[in-house]
Amino acid sequence: MRVVIVEDQALLREGITALLREAGIDVVAQAEDGPGLLRIVAGHKPELAIVDVRLPPTFTDEGIRAAIEARRRQPGLAILVLSQYVEPVYSAELLDSGESGVGYLLKERVGDVTGFLEAIERVAGGGTAIDREVVTELVRARTPRAAQSGLDALTPREHEVLALIAEGRTNAAIARELVITVGAVEKHISSIFAKLDLPASDDDHRRVLAVLAYLGASG
Amino acid sequence: MTGERADHAGPTRAAAPRGGSRAERVFSFAVAVAALVGLSSTIIWAAAGFGYYWPCWIWLGCAGAIAVIAIWLHFRSLPQGWRRWLVGQTDLSVAVGLYLLAIWLFTGTHGFWPLWPLSSLAQALVLHVLIFYRDRLPLLRGRRLRARIDTLTRTRRGAVDVQAAALRQIERDLHDGAQARLVALSMQLGRAEVRLADRPEEAALVRAARQEASAAIAELRDLARGIAPPVLADRGLEAAVRSLAERSPRAVTVNAERQPQRLAPAVEGAAYFVVAEALTNVAKHAPRASAKVTIAQRGDRLLIDVTDNGEGGADPAVGSGLHGLQARVEALDGTLTVISPAGGPTVIHAELPCES
Repeated sequence: MRVVIVEDQALLREGITALLREAGIDVVAQAEDGPGLLRIVAGHKPELAIVDVRLPPTFTDEGIRAAIEARRRQPGLAILVLSQYVEPVYSAELLDSGESGVGYLLKERVGDVTGFLEAIERVAGGGTAIDREVVTELVRARTPRAAQSGLDALTPREHEVLALIAEGRTNAAIARELVITVGAVEKHISSIFAKLDLPASDDDHRRVLAVLAYLGASG
Repeated sequence: MTGERADHAGPTRAAAPRGGSRAERVFSFAVAVAALVGLSSTIIWAAAGFGYYWPCWIWLGCAGAIAVIAIWLHFRSLPQGWRRWLVGQTDLSVAVGLYLLAIWLFTGTHGFWPLWPLSSLAQALVLHVLIFYRDRLPLLRGRRLRARIDTLTRTRRGAVDVQAAALRQIERDLHDGAQARLVALSMQLGRAEVRLADRPEEAALVRAARQEASAAIAELRDLARGIAPPVLADRGLEAAVRSLAERSPRAVTVNAERQPQRLAPAVEGAAYFVVAEALTNVAKHAPRASAKVTIAQRGDRLLIDVTDNGEGGADPAVGSGLHGLQARVEALDGTLTVISPAGGPTVIHAELPCES
């Protein structure tokens, strides 16, 4: 996988690069600002760009703007935005910016190496990885009262499991995150399905329905 | 007459501060010499068979000398400054006035000629007093007060702007400093954890350390958001208020006129925290309510309204949230009104001056 990194703080840029190289991911170029991203995307044709939100010269949301622009110029480029804070406003802009993979994670998630590498795989494969903090806030904000009653019946653990499903995690990833067995995860999930009164059809479909209930079918 | 005055005023004042004892000695000596001269001339006058009391002129001369010494000592004893000169002039005017009156008496009170020099002295003194107390004159006082209010308004606004800029700087410093280091720490712990995959106990320790680092990062993030929300600095008031609405557990509609240009950080901050506090209150006290936020600009006023259809009964006097907001808004010469009758609806209306 060909990856480029845009991060103005050398400490973090080197940290992420080292971590990816140890995992056998090819970091083909690095840049420190928005124009740098556009340059290396044009030059190296990467599959994935990992971009910090705050970049010089304004140190505001340059990264988001540059990532959206890079995507416009190279459709199909997967974008993983890293930030020290998450804003639902930015996640919406990123999700609206194209069809290819999008990720928006807090920087500290990089410390969870396995989870971070999974997120990279998912985004590079065209999927999404939205930070659970954004998911939680959107969920709290969007849940309509009808679905709320079903959701209220969930235990805190089941809430955690459902939030992880909403992030796009697999059962194995959820098990690792919560330090429980895959069997326990499956038990939680079937309990969630039961409480949300989801029909017994194929599992993937029910997963989607559960997440939709969770996100309040935001439409 | 003059001698009497000098006896009372001179030595007591002059004796007080620096060089008191020496000044006192000089003064006492002068008085003693004057008394000796005066008395001996009186004895000579009596021995010469009375008649016209000519020693009055000798007394007067001595009194004049003593008055000069007394005034000088008094002047020296006063603290430096303009007031010293005013008091000095007063002393001198009184002494000269009394001296003239004495001469007038001794020369037989023909026509009150000292009127002219006395009135000149008085006019000069009145002029000096007016200049000295000019701040208390109603006319000048009004002008000075206005100038003072202008200065205070300007400097207070300056202080508020400096504070807002300082808060944003703190947020930025946290972001680039402590937060970045903790993130780097968390990455390194993560890499260590991966390498310890075959030693689960050590890996668990490292994992716990990483989670501590994550908790510290999260706390710093909440702190930074509380002092200067990044989205407000990045995108301005409208985006920040929409973000607040997104985060709120209640249904919130935002009706914001697009701002032609960015507002001053202090104004943006105050407006943001008005909406944040209002929405927090709705979330806390009105479980079934929905809220509406309106932001508009009318001339040089920014108008913010947060309306909810909850039960009402919000009181700014209870709880420090609304009260603190009021102080924040008033520091910008704005106003905050809370209308919340029992049974609702609650309207929080803020007006902030904003130059555009």
